[in-house]
Amino acid sequence: MFYQYSEDQNAFRDSLRRFVQDHYDYETRRQRVEKSEVFNTGYWRQLAELGVLGLPFSEADGGLDLDFPYLMAVAEEIGRGLVLEPVLPVTVAGRLLAASNNDDAKSHLAALISGESLVSLAWEESSSRGNPLLTQCTLITRADGYVLNGKKQAVLAAAESQFYIVSTRDSGGDLQLLLLNAKHSGITQRCYLLADGNSAADLEFNNVELPASAIIASASQAEALLQTAISESIVVMAAEAIGAIDQLLVITQEYLLTRKQFGMPLAMFQSLQHRFADMVIVAEKLRSLLWAACQQLGSNNQEKSAAQLKVQLGESARYVGQQAVQLHGGIGMTDELNVGAYFKRLTVMELLCGQQDYHLGKLAELELVS
Amino acid sequence: MMSNQLSELDTFRREVRDFLESAATDEIREAGRKTTSVFAPFKQAMAWQKILYNKGWVAPAWPVEYGGTGWTIHQRYIFVEECNRLELPPVLPQNIQMVGPAVIGFGSEEQKAKYLPGMLSGDDFWCQGYSEPGAGSDLASLKCRADSDGDDYILNGSKTWTTYGHHANKMFALVRTSSEGKPQQGISFLLLDMNTPGIEVHPIIGLDGEPEQCEVFFTDARVPKANRIGEENKGWSVAKYVLEFERGGSTFGAWLTPAFERLRARCQQSNESSVRLIDDVSIARKLAKLEVDISAVEHTEKRVNANLKHGENPGPMASLLKILGSEVMQQYSELQLEISGVDALAQQHSALHVGSGIAAMGSEADMLAMPYYLNTRAASIYAGSNEVQRSLLAKAVMGV
Repeated sequence: MFYQYSEDQNAFRDSLRRFVQDHYDYETRRQRVEKSEVFNTGYWRQLAELGVLGLPFSEADGGLDLDFPYLMAVAEEIGRGLVLEPVLPVTVAGRLLAASNNDDAKSHLAALISGESLVSLAWEESSSRGNPLLTQCTLITRADGYVLNGKKQAVLAAAESQFYIVSTRDSGGDLQLLLLNAKHSGITQRCYLLADGNSAADLEFNNVELPASAIIASASQAEALLQTAISESIVVMAAEAIGAIDQLLVITQEYLLTRKQFGMPLAMFQSLQHRFADMVIVAEKLRSLLWAACQQLGSNNQEKSAAQLKVQLGESARYVGQQAVQLHGGIGMTDELNVGAYFKRLTVMELLCGQQDYHLGKLAELELVS
Repeated sequence: MMSNQLSELDTFRREVRDFLESAATDEIREAGRKTTSVFAPFKQAMAWQKILYNKGWVAPAWPVEYGGTGWTIHQRYIFVEECNRLELPPVLPQNIQMVGPAVIGFGSEEQKAKYLPGMLSGDDFWCQGYSEPGAGSDLASLKCRADSDGDDYILNGSKTWTTYGHHANKMFALVRTSSEGKPQQGISFLLLDMNTPGIEVHPIIGLDGEPEQCEVFFTDARVPKANRIGEENKGWSVAKYVLEFERGGSTFGAWLTPAFERLRARCQQSNESSVRLIDDVSIARKLAKLEVDISAVEHTEKRVNANLKHGENPGPMASLLKILGSEVMQQYSELQLEISGVDALAQQHSALHVGSGIAAMGSEADMLAMPYYLNTRAASIYAGSNEVQRSLLAKAVMGV
């Protein structure tokens, strides 16, 4: 069992931290969000040059073949600096392509790793409420291929991506994963910023005609690939949350030590000390379950430990986010200070990839059969 | 309550509902639906105030001789419930709940005659100048100076968290007129015109991307001493009286009950996959728990008010009501966000603006869930943070 980064992983993390510090001062980020310029192609190229986009891919696929904690380290720094570029969703989607053993799918990896193209995983739907196996999308067989219909919600980085991986059910009820060109006729994108400033889109598929080769995985293989991608999404999201939470704790601690009311620093008030201690406790719970889930990736326990992690993320993200705002008072409620931006990012993470209740329900079902 | 009393209240409710339904314009209703904090969009809130003023219903809690309605707490509750059932914009609290009671309680007859009519009609809009960058929870440490100069005060300093300061033509402010004794002792309660030379207003952008609060700066702004409410250096007791009055008359429950019913109705509808959220036992239980909490808020508010004699302040119970009401409101905002889920994620600034004509991407309720959740975090901060309220309550109840 390991609960911390290796020396090499730490060194990599430090180099990325410097990159983030140099490019992501809060005011610049605030203005980028205000102008809806949340994807910077220059930054993306630099991230590719730093190797960030190729960490968890085999050398055969053009990657660096590094362990998953490298990606977690990246995620922590992304969270700490509120990075807007969609490194994490694109990397997880790329890993699904790599795991598919479909040559067409894998042929895109080199361009992903070099930063020339992006791919989005489109699985969330309004009515699925976090369950990847529930989809209202349909795939009908025709003599010369297939026809896709349906909608996907909150697809991360969809506006910037050249390719989409889309989950759907076929007429036999089997889950299918499709790889589509974003420009394919019949696809409508409705692009927007999420509440935290990150880019996303709702996708609508209207009689999208596809060749048989668009299917990159079917039935149980499709389910396994999708569940793995979501487990990995949760792990990197939790690492990002830890980065954000750690930074929020630093900012809040500094504020409590400097802000004076009733003739002394706020940090001297016992009720606020206890509050801060509780924030630290939920942060450490999340960090522990993050490492636990990271170690289970690829095992039979992967889904269960990812579900546990997302439950904890729900608690930790909400408590730390809300209390950081509360302890700052009015100034925490403004756009001027970064506290609110962290709070919004953490709130969005609560809602993506299944909320706490969904994952608790999943764990409760496991309790029944264990 | 006796049954004849109940039927009288039913008649009253019918009368209120009929009037509200006929009087509220589409634009006012849109503004009410798109209210994502305690402060409704300014323009429509003032238009609605004017309509209520013309009906004589704008300040139910004021004494009848100054324009109040003479309603009982039950009638006032019904009125707020019916306004919220129709999702009407709440009348902005500054004129009616904040400065009005101060002038009624502590102002001279001349001041009452001069200021109360404009507060009621909405011809004036008053903003609050209490907090300062260095004086938040510890309000008594405020530093904005009012130096005596003949018949005037000269103001220097700044105020912050002044809601809708950029819309206001008047301000009621707490200023320092003396640095002797305890900090509470040198504070005076002052009324001033926002067009006084030497006043500058800077809006602050909130978490939802909208300007609601302002900073206000004073540089040698001259205000007549005749504008002071109450005695010099006794402004703290004016402010304290108003705060307790404001919290004591709280109607969080009357707001929450209709909002809860809408939330439950949403969960009872079938979604695209013919699933009703209410059939999810975890959601049903959360709704049930929230309903218990809302019921506790409502009956605590009614009980505290019913046991007060007219004009009496609820004392420490005011703190309790504020903590309870604000925190249940926050729980409501959390459950609403969970119910909207991924449908709440998109930023929709344009569609949120009243009269934009831009439709929400999904349902209006989903569009509102996130800004409402974010803004409602302020409920445990404003009007005396809940930490300060808990200290007040503990000290009063424990007698320490």
